[in-house]
Amino acid sequence: MRNYVSWGLYISTFVFFIGISHSGTLVSAILRITKQEWRRPITRSAELLTFVSLLFGGIQPIIDLGRPDRIANLVIFGRIQSPLMWDVISICTYFAGSTVFLYLPMIPDLAMCRDKLTVCDTRFKKFKKWLYKFMAIGWQGTKEQWHMLEKTMTIMTIVIIPVAVSVHTVVSYIFAMTLRPGWNSTVFGPYFVVGALYSGSAGVILGMAAFRKLYHLEKYITSKHFDLMGKIVLSLTLIYAYLNLNEYWIPAYKMATAEGRLLSDLFYGTYSTAFWFCQFGTVLLPIIVMSFPKGRTTKILPIVCIIIVIGAWIKRYLIVVPTLLHPFMPIQEVPGSWSTYFPNYVEFSVTAACLAGIFLVITLFAKMFPMMAIWEVEEGIVIEHDKKIAARVKAAREATELANETATINQPA
Amino acid sequence: MKRSTISKLLAPLLIWVTAFVNPLFAQNKTQTADKAEATLGLAYSKKSDLSKTAIATVKARNEKGKFAPVAGVHVNFYTGEGDNTKILKNAVTNEKGQATVVLPKDLQMNDSMAFSVSAKIQDDPKYQDAEEKIQYADADITIKLDPNDSTSTINIKVTSSTKDGKQIPIKDVAVKFYVQRLFGDMSPMEDNSVTTDANGEAVFNYPKFIPGDVTGAYTVVAKIEDNDKYGNVEKRAATNWGIKLNVDKDPFPRALWEPYAPIPLVITVSVLFGGVWALYFYLFYQMFKIKKVAKTAGN
Repeated sequence: MRNYVSWGLYISTFVFFIGISHSGTLVSAILRITKQEWRRPITRSAELLTFVSLLFGGIQPIIDLGRPDRIANLVIFGRIQSPLMWDVISICTYFAGSTVFLYLPMIPDLAMCRDKLTVCDTRFKKFKKWLYKFMAIGWQGTKEQWHMLEKTMTIMTIVIIPVAVSVHTVVSYIFAMTLRPGWNSTVFGPYFVVGALYSGSAGVILGMAAFRKLYHLEKYITSKHFDLMGKIVLSLTLIYAYLNLNEYWIPAYKMATAEGRLLSDLFYGTYSTAFWFCQFGTVLLPIIVMSFPKGRTTKILPIVCIIIVIGAWIKRYLIVVPTLLHPFMPIQEVPGSWSTYFPNYVEFSVTAACLAGIFLVITLFAKMFPMMAIWEVEEGIVIEHDKKIAARVKAAREATELANETATINQPA
Repeated sequence: MKRSTISKLLAPLLIWVTAFVNPLFAQNKTQTADKAEATLGLAYSKKSDLSKTAIATVKARNEKGKFAPVAGVHVNFYTGEGDNTKILKNAVTNEKGQATVVLPKDLQMNDSMAFSVSAKIQDDPKYQDAEEKIQYADADITIKLDPNDSTSTINIKVTSSTKDGKQIPIKDVAVKFYVQRLFGDMSPMEDNSVTTDANGEAVFNYPKFIPGDVTGAYTVVAKIEDNDKYGNVEKRAATNWGIKLNVDKDPFPRALWEPYAPIPLVITVSVLFGGVWALYFYLFYQMFKIKKVAKTAGN
């Protein structure tokens, strides 16, 4: 990092991961609250993605500090009026909530694992048995327990949505409440939230595709899921594109001195390639592709989502770095290297390690716990079955009534 | 003795002298030549509490060839003249190149009631020997003022002691007037210098606008500065002539940019996050109840 760019790759990664963490909220909480039955096979992976991305995203600012021990100063000397303090509090709150939100629907599944694991001939299996028993908190599936669990999950589902929205709004405040060209924007809150939902949903689709392929879940995660998730990402991309237009078009029309220097650098300067790739490659192109049903298939949609996720990462970099290199007081009479920034191998290595950490935690989770909410999927099958029976009964009743009416009409007077 | 015997005895002696003694002298000469030149300055001041101080400043050329203060040089301070010379102290210069000595009260005075102090760099491994000497007469400033005088007038008298202890006035000495502030003495007006009359007296009027503390107090300072005969002499006195300072009861009112946050913000943040965490704890309680229900059912 440089004197002028104290927030480099780490903070860009932090914002990106916090954005990805919105996947759990959107797919799990919003679809749960709107009673979308098709959500059932994909909620667990979405909630897990939230948990791990928060886990590794949350440590990025600590890495960026360079002196991790100084994080204690936030507790000792923290000022509640600082957006940094709000950020720490809201991320901790969101992390705690996401952990509970991941754990609650797992309880019946953990009990099932506990009951199914009967042969404990190795130490690892004994440990697994103990872990399932401990985490299942004595779940027996009684009516009273189901009632309590449903009540708890309903509360959590309602609470986690505003908490998630607040987290990314507060992350945007860190930038928007600093007097810098490019950050001095009133739409930064919704811009960050929508950007997070858009990249997070794309992350969920990638997770769906990976688990579908690795664990052969084609029966449960169907092309219908991809189509519906594709429609969600499409609508979010459209909103994001609209906010993007506002974010750049309004200052570009005025081209105020400091803002103008930054925008010139973005539009046709050092960062123009990355900037236009983000606008056309990761926003406009996905809109065009996903607008057609063929663009939302199990093969095409993950490719589009990879582009979206990469674009989201580059976009975070473009939000953080160019602004730091274009302060209101122009950089002058400093060594040439101070006025440029590109992450060095240490920064790339640490970021790659965090990414690897995410995959490691997901892999370990997949080894230990069910990657799909089994009871929820079963419940969905039962509901679907009941619906079919109800539809058949209704159709039979209507047919009987129609036959009776016909018989009455045809009866000779 | 035979000439050959003498030669035999002298030869080793000559060799020894040539081999050892001569190089020793040569080394000594080389060392003196290698030593750097240092400048020595010496200043004297008499404080308000009548303590007298001599400060020696050592400077030498640095890597850029400019004279700069040198730390860690031993400086010997002496007083008296001729056979009556007496060492006062051996002091080491600090990072400002200064070595300080507090002069004793019973300084040896000559017939004209002057004392002399000298500072010397002697046998320093890095720097050549140097010496600086000063000679000053002892002078006193007496301040007369009314701390509550509305005209803010200060009367001073500059005197010098005779051998028999009498105080004789000193005329035609420039005295400058200051106000003591936190980081030094500040001149209250552009022309702050007054010369003593035949009685050694001078009068100075301080301006009215000088800010004091909460009670309007500030300290006035009268100084003789860099006088050839008397060196630096000063006297301080407290007054109540200043404008009373209005101190806000709360120096840090609650604001976004102050150490304490505004109350509405504290309440908003506390209610929002407190509410969420309260719900979390309720959920933990529900989980605890799920476990409790299981235990009851098991029993």
